[in-house]
Amino acid sequence: MAEDTFIEIRDLHFSRGERKIFDGLSMTIPRGQITGIMGPSGTGKTTLLRIIGGQVRPDAGEVIVAGHDVCRMSREELFEFRKNIGMLFQSSALFTDLSVYENVAFPLRVHTELPEDSIRDLVLLKLNAVGLRGARDLFPAELSGGMARRVALARAIALDPALLMYDEPFTGQDPISMGVLVKLIKSLNQALETTNIVVSHDIHETSSIADKLYIISDGKVIGAGAPEALRADGSPWVQQFMHGSPDGPVPFHYPADELLYDVLAEVGP
Amino acid sequence: MIDLIRGVGIGALDRLGSLGNATILWLTALSGLPRRGDLALLARQIYTIGVLSLVIIVLSAFSIGAVIALQFYVQLSRFGAEEAVGLGLAMVLLRELGPVVTALLFAGRAGSAITAEIGLMKSTEQLSSMEMMGVDPLHRIVAPRLWAGLLCMPLLTAIFNVVAIYGGMVVAVHWLGSDPGGFWSGMQDTVEVWEDLGKGMIKSVIFAVVVTWIAVYQGYATEPTAEGIGLSTTRTVVMSSVMVLALDFLLTLGMYGDFN
Amino acid sequence: MQMRTIEISVGAFVLAGFLALVVLVVQVSGVTLTMSPDTHRLLAEFDDVAGLRVRAKVSMAGVTIGRVSRIDVEPSYGVAIVEMEINDRSWPLPVDTGARILTEGILGARYIGLMPGADEEVLEEGGYITDTQGALVLENLIGELVTRLGAS
Repeated sequence: MAEDTFIEIRDLHFSRGERKIFDGLSMTIPRGQITGIMGPSGTGKTTLLRIIGGQVRPDAGEVIVAGHDVCRMSREELFEFRKNIGMLFQSSALFTDLSVYENVAFPLRVHTELPEDSIRDLVLLKLNAVGLRGARDLFPAELSGGMARRVALARAIALDPALLMYDEPFTGQDPISMGVLVKLIKSLNQALETTNIVVSHDIHETSSIADKLYIISDGKVIGAGAPEALRADGSPWVQQFMHGSPDGPVPFHYPADELLYDVLAEVGP
Repeated sequence: MIDLIRGVGIGALDRLGSLGNATILWLTALSGLPRRGDLALLARQIYTIGVLSLVIIVLSAFSIGAVIALQFYVQLSRFGAEEAVGLGLAMVLLRELGPVVTALLFAGRAGSAITAEIGLMKSTEQLSSMEMMGVDPLHRIVAPRLWAGLLCMPLLTAIFNVVAIYGGMVVAVHWLGSDPGGFWSGMQDTVEVWEDLGKGMIKSVIFAVVVTWIAVYQGYATEPTAEGIGLSTTRTVVMSSVMVLALDFLLTLGMYGDFN
Repeated sequence: MQMRTIEISVGAFVLAGFLALVVLVVQVSGVTLTMSPDTHRLLAEFDDVAGLRVRAKVSMAGVTIGRVSRIDVEPSYGVAIVEMEINDRSWPLPVDTGARILTEGILGARYIGLMPGADEEVLEEGGYITDTQGALVLENLIGELVTRLGAS
């Protein structure tokens, strides 16, 4: 199936201090589909989203979104570019000093000169899409985690962006909220024809909605393809990850001496 | 031994690095043209930083003014020089206590609040999401607070001085029976606008810069851990207090150093 | 928190702050807005001005009629030259006006007290008061007293 590529990442290198986070990473994100990026914690998945969004500059490589290299954008270009990105953070990142309504209206006020009436209509529409129109006057402190995430989602789609990025959307959610979120992601994808990137380590949920999966480890892609294909993949690493096996290429035991020597060491002379 | 020197050296370089970061933060935040809506942000910060500090400033000022007047009166009456209470009170307040105590109270109340706010925004990724939406957090969050701090602290110092002097007057004149005419005229004859009030206000502005700067930077540099915000706010209060007192010493030497 | 309330309280706060400054300037520092524009310069030489400061008052019969504006020293003669600004209302003064450096109270500030003269001729702008007596320094007085007591 020929891929209409929306984002192309070529040979990405990025280090934080002495740690190499990305070591020649390359991937392509197809347009209008849901792409999942998975991998163990700490592999820099969130950092990848930040690089795509232009918040972080990589040491080397190119990140080309719809034909433009993000890493070489000027401030003004980045500002325009960000109109077309919506990001859902792990902690929902709602502005605590603003009401739900004001939070969703925020990107509209920043990027447009729309009159108050139009803003009001848009905000209510977006809130309605996530089912929280009635909560518009509440403040983030009064929302449950799941509700906060939905408001954050409404805010992310406020400008009808072409690209939506989700950072660990399933972490710490109860089954009902999870179901709601999954449904929203899918329906938004269909309704708005956005390109979606979901970063997660929840295999089950991510596999259920993603059209394509990438598995990252040690700064490189170690597996890519449709979820079913990956499940049948032969590489032991991918296997351990997809099936959640406790032991495999990622070992169970933290490196230590042989058990016998450790225990015997207690017995003194 | 070598390790110790190495440790000190690395520590010093770290400090320099932090100072550098802080300076860049400061300059970046204050550069850039103001936009519509910035005034609203500034107003909100003046409210949080200034108006809400009034209570503690006024209460402390009154107490301190009263206590100092009392102590001065007691000591001065040993020489029969009670009329100098007004004068002594005004001098001490305008030159030293006004700027310094206000700065310390400010650091404790407003400074720590700023650090906590910004620290929380950083920890909950609000600053990040703002950036992602194309809003520069330095412009939206940091700059209004810097300007508000710069504006509020000298005003608070002026209010502190006035309330303290009146508090002292209440004690000296109405309670201890000092002559009101002497209280005020002694003060007016000797207090000079530039030498005492002016230099005191300059101190206040310098303190405002230092305290607000520290508060904002600590907030921005908060570690995203459980104790992160607590540590940052503590650091703000401690560093601000030490800097204010140290600077006061240097400024006093510089401004009034001719002790002949 | 309504924006309106915030605006009002911020405005009130800033106003209060500036009012405080005004109070400090006027009430505490004694700056008078009617700072007399018309003053006249007088000079006087003293051999000891111990404790006299610039802006000390110049008074006659207990009424403040001016301020000390400068204090210089003439190194070759070892005298201090004090410059005073006298209010227009109290001008002109006779040439034989006397100037003494007095102390307010026991430990108070030094000031210049002028004794009225009887001469018809008056001091000119920038003229010198010749009848001067320097500050009485406590230590010198005690020293003198001790010497006198010792002699008797």
